[in-house]
Amino acid sequence: MRFYVTYLAQRLGQFLLVVFIGINLTYLITHLTPIDPVEQSIAAVTSFGNTSPEAIGAMRQSLRELYGLTGAPHEQYLAFWRRIATADFGPSLSAFPTPVSTLIARALPWTIGLLATATLLTWVLGNLLGGLAGYYQNKTSLKVLAIIAMGLHPVPYYIVAFVLLVMFGYLWPLLPIAGGKAMNLGDQLNLTIVLSILKHSILPALSLLLVGLGGWFLGMRSLVSNIVSEDYVVYAELAGVDRRRILTSYVMRNALLPQVTGLALSLGAIFNGAIITEQVFGYPGVGSLLVSGVYAGDYGLVLGVATVSIIGVSTAVLIIDLLYPLLDPRVRTA
Amino acid sequence: MRLKGTVLAAILCGGVGLATLPGAVAAQGLFANLPRNETLILENPEGTIKNAGWFNIWAINAGSQSNGLQQAALDTLWYIDPNRGLDGVWQNSLAADKPQYNADFTEMTVKLRPGIYWSDGVEFTAADVVHTVTTQIKHKNMRWSAALALNVEAVEAPDPHTVLFKLKKPNSRFHALFTVRWNAVWIMPKHVFEKVEDPLKFDFNKPVSLGAYVLHTFDPDGRWYIWRLREDWQRTTLARYGTPGPKYLAYVDPGPPDKRVIAQMNHELDVIHDVAPEGMFTLAKQSKSSVAWFKGFPYAHPDPTLPALIFNGQNELFKSRDVRWALALLIDIKAVSMASYRGAATISAIGIPPTGRHPESYHEPLQDWLANFELDTGKRKVKPYDRGIGQQIAEMLRPSMGDQIPSDPKAIAAAFGMGWWKADPQAAAELLEKAGFKKVGANWQTPDGKPFTVRVVVEGEARPVMTRAGSMIVEQWRRAGIDAKVDVAQGTLVTRRAAGDFDTLISWSVETWGGHQDLSFFLDSWHSQFVAPAGAPQPPRNWQRWSHPDLDKIIEEIRKIGFDDPKGIELGREYVKIAVREMPTIPLMSYNVFTVMDTTYWTGYPTAADPYTDPVPNWANSRAMFVKLKPKS
Repeated sequence: MRFYVTYLAQRLGQFLLVVFIGINLTYLITHLTPIDPVEQSIAAVTSFGNTSPEAIGAMRQSLRELYGLTGAPHEQYLAFWRRIATADFGPSLSAFPTPVSTLIARALPWTIGLLATATLLTWVLGNLLGGLAGYYQNKTSLKVLAIIAMGLHPVPYYIVAFVLLVMFGYLWPLLPIAGGKAMNLGDQLNLTIVLSILKHSILPALSLLLVGLGGWFLGMRSLVSNIVSEDYVVYAELAGVDRRRILTSYVMRNALLPQVTGLALSLGAIFNGAIITEQVFGYPGVGSLLVSGVYAGDYGLVLGVATVSIIGVSTAVLIIDLLYPLLDPRVRTA
Repeated sequence: MRLKGTVLAAILCGGVGLATLPGAVAAQGLFANLPRNETLILENPEGTIKNAGWFNIWAINAGSQSNGLQQAALDTLWYIDPNRGLDGVWQNSLAADKPQYNADFTEMTVKLRPGIYWSDGVEFTAADVVHTVTTQIKHKNMRWSAALALNVEAVEAPDPHTVLFKLKKPNSRFHALFTVRWNAVWIMPKHVFEKVEDPLKFDFNKPVSLGAYVLHTFDPDGRWYIWRLREDWQRTTLARYGTPGPKYLAYVDPGPPDKRVIAQMNHELDVIHDVAPEGMFTLAKQSKSSVAWFKGFPYAHPDPTLPALIFNGQNELFKSRDVRWALALLIDIKAVSMASYRGAATISAIGIPPTGRHPESYHEPLQDWLANFELDTGKRKVKPYDRGIGQQIAEMLRPSMGDQIPSDPKAIAAAFGMGWWKADPQAAAELLEKAGFKKVGANWQTPDGKPFTVRVVVEGEARPVMTRAGSMIVEQWRRAGIDAKVDVAQGTLVTRRAAGDFDTLISWSVETWGGHQDLSFFLDSWHSQFVAPAGAPQPPRNWQRWSHPDLDKIIEEIRKIGFDDPKGIELGREYVKIAVREMPTIPLMSYNVFTVMDTTYWTGYPTAADPYTDPVPNWANSRAMFVKLKPKS
């Protein structure tokens, strides 16, 4: 127990340090960006309509004051940490005065809903099929599956996404190609909205599944292939233990540990959003939000999304670190 | 509650629909509960709106502009159509007549149209105009605060249908602030905003409408907005042109260009704002119901915007007009047209977009002057203008495009432009030598013996057509022995352009009304009084930071004359001549927008054959479409 308390304290310390450094780096990078949010706003306002050069000068100064960009750098930095301490990322500069936290809160559920489901589904299917393929190495159907997985795995994500778009959006127009749900469904949550969300999520989820499946499949197959030749597996087979029990309790359980680590990291990375997926499928989420924030020089928004992401990944690593001693006795004795 | 519901549903359901593949459904689920044959679906090029529930357009850059808000729900005093207009280019909208100035342009009186009502039943009066102005002057961080505060000494409403502006200094173009060219100062409802404590923090949701449509519903995630025709649309300014055809307008974010093409092929997007030339060609070949501005090649609508190669006038290398001219003569515009727009460009040799009423006022009358214009290379005099280049581009395209290419010279000029500068490497070399440059081996050196290096800043993937134009120019300059490089700015372009952080830049510093010959819209900003010192940010639009005493005089003359004074055209032509002689930017072509319209559900779109307005759907002027569109029977 004493070991575990010490271990917990060390890991918590690491977690806080990683979060602190990560957020500081993000702050530094966003404030070194060559994109000036004031110029972006002025360009948006003046790029088409009537513009008086004198008025623009006055507008520049007003916007600097409004966006809080007039203080000394150290004052801005301290103000930032004061806000972070209360989970307030300040107003979005490209959607002023709406708070960044409001924008993230609106986008995050879409990302979590899509990515968590797709990640878990891909992980379960990939590991299950990979485990079977590694154990039943002579089955033709599983060999075919392995070839398909190996074939799909290296294909760039965006190609798979575009093929799906053309197939199901144009050649066989069954599925929506953009958005999170159909237009004009009303405000109340009901079965129609749920079905519409499901329908809109099929293509992005399928694209993630097709590309992600191969990695888990091949990883698990490789791990299981090594374990099946271990003495305890051979002994169990010679002793007549049921093969399904050998596969689930002896082989896959042992092979699963590195895969669980990978799953935790993947789940943590969900908070980054799936930028390409969201862009290709016009899916509302934090990935799209991040891209728009970068292009607009919206420090607050980029910092907000990055901070959520840093905390998400760090928390996932922390949870795994804390669970590992419980799952693997070797960690406790290390 | 709505957000919570959506959130919950997203968490519960996102992605797990793999096992619930729906049965065959003809539509792809874009719509629900809307009659398709009563709905016009248009692209909002702003994409997905982060701040979806924000409709207070008087706050700077806080929400969407072209989600239908400015096209369907807002109104102001006047509109100038960039093309021919429904009943002429000038439209008195909320104003009953043109602006009336006093003799020295220090007062402007506006007579308002009676019988116009807000969508909540309150009558529109002069008090709304006064409130719009005073609110923005009082709150300095609003969208038009600076422009109004600089100009307006006082604004009064002597009666409910008259507004009197007293100006701080003479301004013969003050009315331009309230005249729509894409947008203008929109009139705010006094009865709503007078109850608001801080108009900067007020979202104006649900907006009270002064246009013919009112907000029906919108996506909290910002992907779509639906506007419904007001039951009392007869009490709006659009009513004088007839009955609006669509009962519903849906402004949507259809996604990247490939998805826009797919959506239109599936008849789920009636008006595409813009696609790459390749997308346009695909639709022209494969979608029989799709139409564009021109019936055939080059299809696109030429916006009154003039992409050009812009020199940084504060860079020592480009202070000599001989150098600027030499670089112009090293450009083969035909190759640039092919590389950028795949030939679908409308070229212009002069600093005015070849669109709207400009060709008849500027391009055509100046053809002889251009043909006789001479450049002194230091060794000889050359006449660089080739009036047949538009025709030559048409002939280059004819073998592959066949009947799509017009044969009538006037139609060719309208589609591809008139002449341009013929590529003349020999004259360019002589001009560079005249400016003190030397060619050592195959490469040019500056007068102080350094390699002649020129960076051409382009925007990158966000504006592929212009990026391809810049890349082709770099290629041509490199072939001539100049160390030219493409400098891809991506999202930093706006900041770098304002900061003057470029040698040369593919962008535009010329935008015009299109439908009106007055050039003050951009030209006033070219006065030397607005050129920022090196290192300081430059206000729009003189990105070249160039000025000339003769041009200052022209601008000052234009300020003294009325907007419709025919002398303005003469002064405009003088500007063109100075700009040709000095070449502060190398004009390339109009900004051609591949707006594609699907005729499956609607007919009566504006085209070059019936140019009653600009079809580009983010322009507020595009509201003219609503009354001309009729359901396809």
